[in-house]
Amino acid sequence: MFDHVISELKNLFSAGEISGTEARLRFVTLPQNQAVKAVKYLNEKQGYRHLVLLTAVDYIEQGQFQLTYLLHNPENRTDIGVRVLIDRENATMESAHTLWPTIATYQRELREMFGIQFPGSPGVDDDFILEGWRGLPPYRRDFDTKAFAESFFPQREGRGTNDPAAFMKEKLYPNE
Amino acid sequence: MGTTKDILSPFLVWKQFFRKPVTIKEPLKRQGADRYRGFHINDIQECIGCGTCESICENQAIDLVAVAGIDTKSGDSGLRPKVDYGRCCWCALCVDVCTTGSLKLTNVFTWVDTDPDQFRYIPGVDAKPWDNATKGYKKAASLELYPLERIPMQHLHPEERHDSFIEIIKGFSKEEALREADRCVACGICTATCPAHMGIPEYIKAIREDNVEEGLRIMYETNPLPEICGRICTHKCETVCSVGHRGDPLSIRWLKRYLADQVPASAYASVLKSDSIEKNNRKVAIIGAGPAGLSAAYYLGMMGYQITVFEKLSAAGGMMRFGIPEYRLPYDQIDKDINYILSLGVEIKYGVSVGKDITLEQLEKEYDAVFAATGLHDGRSTRIPGTNHSGVYQSIELLRKITLGEPIEVAEKIVVIGGGNVAMDITRSLARMQRQKYGKVQLIATSLETEDIMPADREEVVEAREEGAIIYPGWGPREIIVENDRIKGLKVVQCLSVFDEQKRFSPKFDESNENFFEADMVVESIGQGANLSYIPASYFEQLEKDHRGRVLVDTLTFQTKLPWLFMGGDIIEGPDVIHGIANGHKAAKGIDQYLNANREEKQ
Ligand code: SF4
Ligand code: SF4
Ligand code: SF4
Repeated sequence: MFDHVISELKNLFSAGEISGTEARLRFVTLPQNQAVKAVKYLNEKQGYRHLVLLTAVDYIEQGQFQLTYLLHNPENRTDIGVRVLIDRENATMESAHTLWPTIATYQRELREMFGIQFPGSPGVDDDFILEGWRGLPPYRRDFDTKAFAESFFPQREGRGTNDPAAFMKEKLYPNE
Repeated sequence: MGTTKDILSPFLVWKQFFRKPVTIKEPLKRQGADRYRGFHINDIQECIGCGTCESICENQAIDLVAVAGIDTKSGDSGLRPKVDYGRCCWCALCVDVCTTGSLKLTNVFTWVDTDPDQFRYIPGVDAKPWDNATKGYKKAASLELYPLERIPMQHLHPEERHDSFIEIIKGFSKEEALREADRCVACGICTATCPAHMGIPEYIKAIREDNVEEGLRIMYETNPLPEICGRICTHKCETVCSVGHRGDPLSIRWLKRYLADQVPASAYASVLKSDSIEKNNRKVAIIGAGPAGLSAAYYLGMMGYQITVFEKLSAAGGMMRFGIPEYRLPYDQIDKDINYILSLGVEIKYGVSVGKDITLEQLEKEYDAVFAATGLHDGRSTRIPGTNHSGVYQSIELLRKITLGEPIEVAEKIVVIGGGNVAMDITRSLARMQRQKYGKVQLIATSLETEDIMPADREEVVEAREEGAIIYPGWGPREIIVENDRIKGLKVVQCLSVFDEQKRFSPKFDESNENFFEADMVVESIGQGANLSYIPASYFEQLEKDHRGRVLVDTLTFQTKLPWLFMGGDIIEGPDVIHGIANGHKAAKGIDQYLNANREEKQ
């Protein structure tokens, strides 16, 4: 089902790793300067007209973000995820809003949640859901969610917890 | 630019009055999807209060709270998670990480109440309408946030070890230790069960951070014999490890050994800061250089006391050296731990038997306090007919001779009576010696207890079999048959039960079901008793005793009714190494308290 499109991707682009074990889904990794071109090609020439989503994963250990453009072909009902690894430092990616106006919303979300820039994407710097967020983008793995929750949301009155080991000492061997 | 529509619009809204309202009333009666993440439920009998759900919750929505009616006991903190739905975001991480699998989310998601405090409750304790819900989010079987399986320990295969005394367990590499340490959820449930209450999650953390020196320091706070315990500890802690509820418990013992193995003996003094102890002029005598005596010597030595240990035998270690075979605990590792204790200035007088070479009265006069930790070294006999034959031995004597390198009889066919660890030690030692001497093993070990209740560690039984011994549990010895002054074998009858309803030792037999184990040598290994004959009668009278005549001490200080005399180790509690270590530590603190109080009085 994918043989043709995958070999075309290999002919026209430097398609890297191909993965995916499900019958109707493949992932293909492409270099940063080819990803949007490949997405455009799949959209215009291979029937992957529907953008399912655009999302990111923070591979902090590698110093990279992985973006995935998930595309759907309504004719043969298959999906292709185009993956691209970009530098985590000053993370910037080419905007794809000329292909689908809706992708601007995903890009705006990624800008807010991961701090990935998409220059030229309409409204990309507007607040998405965080409204006035100035700190580290919260989906970055180095964002300390727990510390944030603790400092930002006061605890309800009457809360209190126990450390299991300390509690067991107090109950079972207080004087040792 | 205004239009008529704009001017009229406020009135147009009015027509909505006559429409059906969009807001609908509860109950909606709409079910959540099957795996919807709604309110928590917790199987309160399964939950052990490990708090891992609380630690993982990014929203700090969980508190561990005490619950009336749930007792704190070994392996269960008695605490239970209480959820604050003002904070919970239904991520279900708490469900995914729950060590027992007790915590789940139901698919119930509607709940109306006007009192915000109602939205904090203890699932499984505070009754809720969804308590019996079966649908909702459960951890997927394929998803584990930590590996359930242990990192396997490399060891010698039976044919590589069955005819020699070289150490079987190879120890973790750094990479293996880091991976094993990474399985620990750092809950601390194990600490209460360890008799010495070692800081287990703390030293495992030190392994994860690759800070072996910090790990060594943490271990020495509660245990000055880590090379030894890292090899032969009975590892009670592992029986309660949270991770063991759904997977293999952490290899706590091997991780301890890893830490001690990493730090060379030459670095101990600087790592453990024993190069700058301030000495005082008070003297404490310790009787017996076993685990309890050495532990007390270490902690008193660190406090600056002058310590003299009186040891009857020619080397220190007690049962650790003279009971446990070399293939489980090599002598150089015993020496590493003991030499470090000696480096604090502790003196051991070898070959001095208190009661014979020096009296307890003398020790009382010459020292400020005495700690007696003389252990259990007198083998008990079954006293069945035939036991007075010269071919019948006590396991503990044979093990001592093996350590000392003295020759012992190794017959072609041997029967060992006993099902504890010492019985397995002599079984496996003799099996090796039979193989060396005859090229094959003909050895039967038999115990009263059936296999499921044999007191020996499981791995000891398994490994003894791998090495060629035959284990026959569930038989009671009746007579050692002797013909023409030669042992023919052991007659046994089936043992039906060992304990009565009150859990008292009271074996019942089926006399009609007999068996006979051929042998020309019999070894008894049914336990050891204390020999307290070094305590003169005038002193012994003053000690408090239980109904069986065992000496009682203060459980916190190990002080006896004679204020200057402290007692601990196997003669008081156990028997095992780690209890001895814990006793020695407590006695050291007890002695320090006693001597400080004494000095204040004198001043
Ligand atoms: S993780 Fe599971 S077992 Fe541990 S306290 Fe939470 S609910 Fe109980
Ligand atoms: S579901 Fe998530 S937020 Fe809610 S209590 Fe569990 S871990 Fe915390
Ligand atoms: S070793 Fe087991 S019981 Fe102990 S802290 Fe780690 S996970 Fe908890």
